[in-house]
Amino acid sequence: MKTLTIILLLSLLGQNVYAVAFCSLRDPVAQIEQLYPNKTNQLSIVKTVDANTRNQVKLALPSNDLHFSELGEHTLYVAMKNSEPLGYVHVRSEQSQWGLVEIVWALDKNLKIKDFSFQRCRSPKKKIINDEMFKKVFIGKSYEELKTLLSNDGVTANDLLLDKAKNAPELASVVLRCALKTLLITKILWGEELEKFNRY
Amino acid sequence: MHRYLILLLLLSLPSHGDVTKNLRWSLDASARVNNNIAINNTSRIYAFGLDTHKVFTSPYGDIGYAVAQLYFTKLSNQTPYPWLFDYANDSQFVIREAHLNYTTSSNWLPNIRLGHFTFPFGLEESIDTNGRLLDYHHGKNLGTKLDWGLGLNKVLKSMEYSMSYTLGGKDDPKSINNSYALSGRIGSLSHLDFIIGFSFFDAKIDNIQRKKLAIDLQYYWATWGIMAEVSLGKDNKVQQQWRNEKYSLIELNKTSINEQLKLYGQYILTDREGENSTQQLINIGLSYQINGQLELSISSRKQFNQPKSANKQNLLRFQLRYRY
Repeated sequence: MKTLTIILLLSLLGQNVYAVAFCSLRDPVAQIEQLYPNKTNQLSIVKTVDANTRNQVKLALPSNDLHFSELGEHTLYVAMKNSEPLGYVHVRSEQSQWGLVEIVWALDKNLKIKDFSFQRCRSPKKKIINDEMFKKVFIGKSYEELKTLLSNDGVTANDLLLDKAKNAPELASVVLRCALKTLLITKILWGEELEKFNRY
Repeated sequence: MHRYLILLLLLSLPSHGDVTKNLRWSLDASARVNNNIAINNTSRIYAFGLDTHKVFTSPYGDIGYAVAQLYFTKLSNQTPYPWLFDYANDSQFVIREAHLNYTTSSNWLPNIRLGHFTFPFGLEESIDTNGRLLDYHHGKNLGTKLDWGLGLNKVLKSMEYSMSYTLGGKDDPKSINNSYALSGRIGSLSHLDFIIGFSFFDAKIDNIQRKKLAIDLQYYWATWGIMAEVSLGKDNKVQQQWRNEKYSLIELNKTSINEQLKLYGQYILTDREGENSTQQLINIGLSYQINGQLELSISSRKQFNQPKSANKQNLLRFQLRYRY
């Protein structure tokens, strides 16, 4: 009983989130290779998404929050061709009615969307990822440009995106929210460190 | 003693560069209550440990990573007690995973793993169960869950594999009475909705030889998952005579859309040559992630057929786990 009490008290102390044992961590090796076929290696940079980051996301994207699995330490991968950085890869999750959707985002060195693929998506509409018209809405866009695709409620996509999403409006909104949070968090946490790669 | 020296080496590796760069660490505490209804015994297992993960890099990219997990584990009235312990109220420092994985930048050359790691075999290869009530029964089926040795692994464009040769000493990094274990799994990519894998196992551990071939499957649709593992093999556990064994597990699971709640049910059937009846077990359980740190788990195991000379398994377990 004493141990249970101690564990419950400990849980009130911290905000760090490490719910998953670290031996279960897996790098998205196959997806990085798909997004950057010319890469020779990837360079990991681990940063902590904490309560402060979460508050900044809430401030920039009202009506949005981060899933608890999105807090804690996360990795941004720099796709490398020998010593030359090609771009960045970051994986983020977004809650949907089919469970978490995990998207692998490829970003260019100006933090614009280069490409993306689903790491995990259990929606029956997931083939939308193969639709070039849908993908084109995101590719080459910055955070500010993508934010114009949000409707007034701050969580769903507006008609500019939904027109391209055909019969998958909810999934399109999930992808948009995930893209915005990815670009925002990448800039907040990794932005300064990534500046050195712009010299190449 | 050797194992602690190796663990110390793994834990000290980060100090050869920036200690905190690409380092994850977490304190992990859990309290487990086991009510073994079959033998009318209630026991507890307490674990407190450090879980670390460090990525090593060069200007050209990642070189590899290390995982080191050391736990102080205390039993209270645990009967029967696990092989790592000497009596029902014993306490021990336990090394769980402790390995280095050198990740080569080559597209086809394998990564090289060295240390104490889980056998690459069956469902456990893609679903980690360390410290959880959820179990895919590596320890019971293979003689141990983790072993010291060397492994090769790689994720390719459309498949992944992991092979290992380990010493069969379980928690000791040495071969005991010519012990060894050769294990491997090759499968489709483990992040997909449909996963299939093929595994083999050939080992001599605790003077018992085991040979197994297995197939494992996972399929996910929305928040539902179904998975199965079937293995055929033989061992010489009884009087050094080979006997055939068939093992199959099927699991149905369901998670809430925010992934805080997970429910699962397992049906396990084990058919051993020379035993009068097949063993049929049902495991049902749930885990609830109360917040980012605190997880509550409950599971119940019940045996359905009547064994020849023993009580039917009937076990209720409860665990509270906190990671900081």
